[in-house]
Amino acid sequence: MQIEKKTVNIGFNPLTDCAPVVMAAMLGFDEKHGIRIALSRETSWAGVRDKLMTGELDAAHALYGLVYGTQLGIGAQPRDMAVLMNLNRNGQAITLSRRLAEQGATDGASLAALMARNVDENSRQYVFAQTFPTGTHAMWLYYWLAAHGIHPMKDVRAITVPPSQMVYNLVEGHMDGFCAGDPWGHQAVLDGVGVTATTSQQIWPDHPEKVLGASLEFVRAHPNTCRALVAAVLEAGRWIDASDENRRATAEIIAAVPYINTGKAAILPRMLGRYDDGAGHAWRDEHPMCFHQGGQANYPWLSDGMWFMTQFRRWGLLKDDPDYLAVAQSVTQLRLYREAAEMAGVAVPAEVLRSSTLVDGHVWDGTDPEAYAASFPVHMRN
Amino acid sequence: MSRHLRIVLVHPPHESDASLRAAALHAGLMEACYDLVASLPADFHLPEEIARLQPDMIIVDAESDARDVLEHIVVATRDERRPIVMFTEDDKQSSMDAAMEAGVSAYIVAGLKPERIKPVLSVALARFRKEQKLLDELQDTKLKLAERKVVDRAKGLLMSRHGMTEDQAYQRLRTMAMNKKLKLAEIAQRILDVEDLLG
Repeated sequence: MQIEKKTVNIGFNPLTDCAPVVMAAMLGFDEKHGIRIALSRETSWAGVRDKLMTGELDAAHALYGLVYGTQLGIGAQPRDMAVLMNLNRNGQAITLSRRLAEQGATDGASLAALMARNVDENSRQYVFAQTFPTGTHAMWLYYWLAAHGIHPMKDVRAITVPPSQMVYNLVEGHMDGFCAGDPWGHQAVLDGVGVTATTSQQIWPDHPEKVLGASLEFVRAHPNTCRALVAAVLEAGRWIDASDENRRATAEIIAAVPYINTGKAAILPRMLGRYDDGAGHAWRDEHPMCFHQGGQANYPWLSDGMWFMTQFRRWGLLKDDPDYLAVAQSVTQLRLYREAAEMAGVAVPAEVLRSSTLVDGHVWDGTDPEAYAASFPVHMRN
Repeated sequence: MSRHLRIVLVHPPHESDASLRAAALHAGLMEACYDLVASLPADFHLPEEIARLQPDMIIVDAESDARDVLEHIVVATRDERRPIVMFTEDDKQSSMDAAMEAGVSAYIVAGLKPERIKPVLSVALARFRKEQKLLDELQDTKLKLAERKVVDRAKGLLMSRHGMTEDQAYQRLRTMAMNKKLKLAEIAQRILDVEDLLG
């Protein structure tokens, strides 16, 4: 097999779930498959998107919604994009400020109750931050607020703040809460400035999170390089998930300056599934961040991709219903994934849709996306 | 379009805008007689400030993590887009072309000399306007097509219900539109609505 491009430039943002791409390079899985991963630490998601367009990056640790947002031309000119594989599931969180916690808001129900009490008394709007307008964190935040009867566009002000600046802005009182990937949720708890109101896996157990994204143009011109890349990252994800020892070693490496640049203590507990919400509750999570699950977590389910489009439609980011299935089929590189999974000896499910029940009781199985997108009482459709 | 281009400069938070790069840009903008209305830190206030200032163009450091805050503005103001020009370390001509082709933004390579800034910004703005014009035309064409469909359906209805020829149906619609001072598509839509209502 002729590898079209041996050195692959991979962008990542400093977050716990960049682990598989970092470890693929660290453990030499890239060389095993005949490529060399050159890692590039990025500081913004929009920057990742732009660099995938210009070819400065070949592929990247990316937000699911960013890939679909670009495909559909939300915020930028539409460009044909590709999801090569899923990198992880779970492991994000919504944090509420210590100040809100002291007023009794430590979860969705108590937040809704507090907001209902304060509705006339004071005109100050509650401010919540996410990390990118079409990103997963915006969608988790909106979904969770709406599930508790709080309209994310009308009852609160939603702003975009880079993940690494969340804790600082929470301390400064610039916002009341945020949704971001770990380690930032746990960092807020460690610093005693916030409480974990919910984890993303409480919103959707085993939800899709980051993907390995690329432009379709790159994938078409470099199929063998992409297959080798997916195989290498699959092996890295399998390695990380294989034992707590491996997770510890991973946390050690990704905490370092060139990667996340934070203390290992902010990363490791939640990677091991040990959660502390900062409000007196500690637990062993059944759905912590995972990178493999026998390949289930990496398989790019078409229903996973379609879900983000249903939420774009729900929140008015899309004015019309797209052809959900057709868009997901063109973005998701299923055949390429299957071939790469075979190279890495990873099992591939036979189905392309899966069924999940989300926090508000809605069942998402990908069979009728248009009806699903229209089924939510709290929405911003026009 | 004789008024000066109103520009907002965005710099990373916790960092003054006095860097060498920013200094060169300031000088270039002054030379070009652009109106630098504000130099803002890229923090959570940014969307409000941009909404208040309504600049013609935004210039930002592409390597800044505040790029995502800006993306929020882009998405929130999709119906009144404006060009965003970015600094980058990537000096490959192909990258710059690709970025501008994509209409995402324009790229200025760091270390650019002040005297080069005006032409680069002018090109970026021209490209943006051209793209906007094309988008507007596309929107217009789509609307016209939709209107024609409505008129065709109303004509069809008149033809099948009242045995008119196509020409008679069209004349009838036009007369009704003129009498009621409505657009042809509007009168056609009303006829279809009545049909829906009464079956």
